[in-house]
Amino acid sequence: MLSHLFKLIWNKRRHHTLLMVEIWFSFLVLFGVMSLISYNFKNYLEPIGFEYENVWALDLNKNQDTTAIAEKLNTVFQKIRSYPEVEVASRMSNNSPFSFTQSNGNISYQKHSVLADYYTADEDFTKALGMKTILGNWFKKADVVAKFKPVVINKKVQEALFGEVNPIGKIIGENQKVVGVIENFKAKGEFMDNSPCIFNLADDKYDYNKVLIKVKPGTDANFEAKLTKDIGAIAKDWTTEVSYLTDQRQNQHNFALVPVIIFLIITVFLLVNVAMGLFGILNLNIAKRREEIGVRRAMGATAGNIKIQFVGEMWVIATFGILIGVLFAVQVPLMHMFNVETSIYWMAIGLSIVILYGIITLCAYHPSRQAAKIQPAMALHEQ
Amino acid sequence: MIKLSNIEKVYQTSNIETLALNNINIDIKKGEFVSIMGPSGCGKSTLLNIMGLLDEPSTGTIAIDNKPVEKFTDKDLAYLRNQKIGFIFQSFHLINDLSILDNVEIPLLYRASTNKSRREAAKEALEKVGLSNRMKHFPNQLSGGQKQRVAIARAIVGNPEIILADEPTGNLDSAMGNEILNILLQLNAAGSTIVMVTHDENMAKKTHRLIRLFDGSQVS
Repeated sequence: MLSHLFKLIWNKRRHHTLLMVEIWFSFLVLFGVMSLISYNFKNYLEPIGFEYENVWALDLNKNQDTTAIAEKLNTVFQKIRSYPEVEVASRMSNNSPFSFTQSNGNISYQKHSVLADYYTADEDFTKALGMKTILGNWFKKADVVAKFKPVVINKKVQEALFGEVNPIGKIIGENQKVVGVIENFKAKGEFMDNSPCIFNLADDKYDYNKVLIKVKPGTDANFEAKLTKDIGAIAKDWTTEVSYLTDQRQNQHNFALVPVIIFLIITVFLLVNVAMGLFGILNLNIAKRREEIGVRRAMGATAGNIKIQFVGEMWVIATFGILIGVLFAVQVPLMHMFNVETSIYWMAIGLSIVILYGIITLCAYHPSRQAAKIQPAMALHEQ
Repeated sequence: MIKLSNIEKVYQTSNIETLALNNINIDIKKGEFVSIMGPSGCGKSTLLNIMGLLDEPSTGTIAIDNKPVEKFTDKDLAYLRNQKIGFIFQSFHLINDLSILDNVEIPLLYRASTNKSRREAAKEALEKVGLSNRMKHFPNQLSGGQKQRVAIARAIVGNPEIILADEPTGNLDSAMGNEILNILLQLNAAGSTIVMVTHDENMAKKTHRLIRLFDGSQVS
């Protein structure tokens, strides 16, 4: 029966070319969307690696002020730590969690090298974000004066540079010594890839004008107003901006999800068009092929055979379109495009095939049922 | 082989009731070649459709091989049509998008068979009707007589015991018509039971028995 269906569609391929092209195009768009969704979904399943509730990010903008910056920063920092509302305060580089700033570079160990995100943070960073090391320790204040600069890496860097070997105490780059390993640190939120990252210890000699503050639960905007006012009193020309990590996380989510949603809407629109096209073509086909339905019934086809015939024809048409689409789509994982795990693309190809066949079955089912109900004597008599 | 008892067929539209067949009683024996004649609209094709289990009578019973079929499901009826009955139509009803060979294979698609066995059987059937050299042609490349021979090959490919032919020569000239009738006579001689609707007295005379219909009733 399958070969019969293929033969029938192949002989009528000119009539179905447009539909096949439409299915091919839909497959490619669907593959794109499914890749995006699979990528984001897979990322979402990986823990973010830190806690962001009740954490505020303070941006200290010095504007034109150039005098006694380090002293003023230290005073501000001491002041922040002195509030009873503040549990922990930690200074770090500008690429704080959920910010849109990124800093990266290659790190290497022996013959291995990996591109990693760079962060600089002080000894209280893990307390502010509720993080834990899985090997070794986080920085200590005294590490600043150590012979080698202490660094903490995440598990991704460990896997890339050291494999199964314990990385604690190993020297990477020119003079960086691994003192600890953390599990995950997805600074751009849940939808970020769990990429390699490395932490350097913040040195008081340098200006780090980003402060993460872990406040006590229930701390409200009154404290925020008091904080900015007090900082303004210490450093008159500075401006202070307070952001809640929960809000910044939401912004990052929007940044990741809005393109997916837009793409998804376009795809749904396209698929609805394909579905309507299929539905129309099949209805027209059935109206034109009542004689054939009558003949097949006379030759021994059951109502079920007729249903399978029409649904099967649509599957065959879809198979031609999808096969061409798959030929294009498999190039993406084979050529390791966009530096994404190939399993994501294979999953997207599989999902796209299942969704397209599902839609085609749904569209073909009702007209095929109608075809199966045609009385053979009536269909043959009409001709 | 086919027994029709007290068959009535009424077509009902919103207000009008049309009696297409009235009190038909026919018993067709195995190996018979029966022709049905009558003016246009007298119910010949309706009768043939009922015999072929393509249509249901309003009242009365049909028995094939002494088994009443009233309670048969769609699947049972399809099975009987597939295994026991071969149809030949006046307008051939070939599928233009399939080759001659593929057209002839159609009845075998609805029974357990392999691609190879279907192909062999279809080739054999086409050889019987003298069209083995046209297997890869498409219906629109054939003459009317050739199309009807393809339709005959399709009807006999599954070795049915009964062949129902609805004006098989109606669209053909007399020479072609005689050729088709000869094929049917040969099939009958080989054991097939044939019921043929025709308008042609000369053709009807060559069959074993003639049933005449008039206004839906059996007159002889």
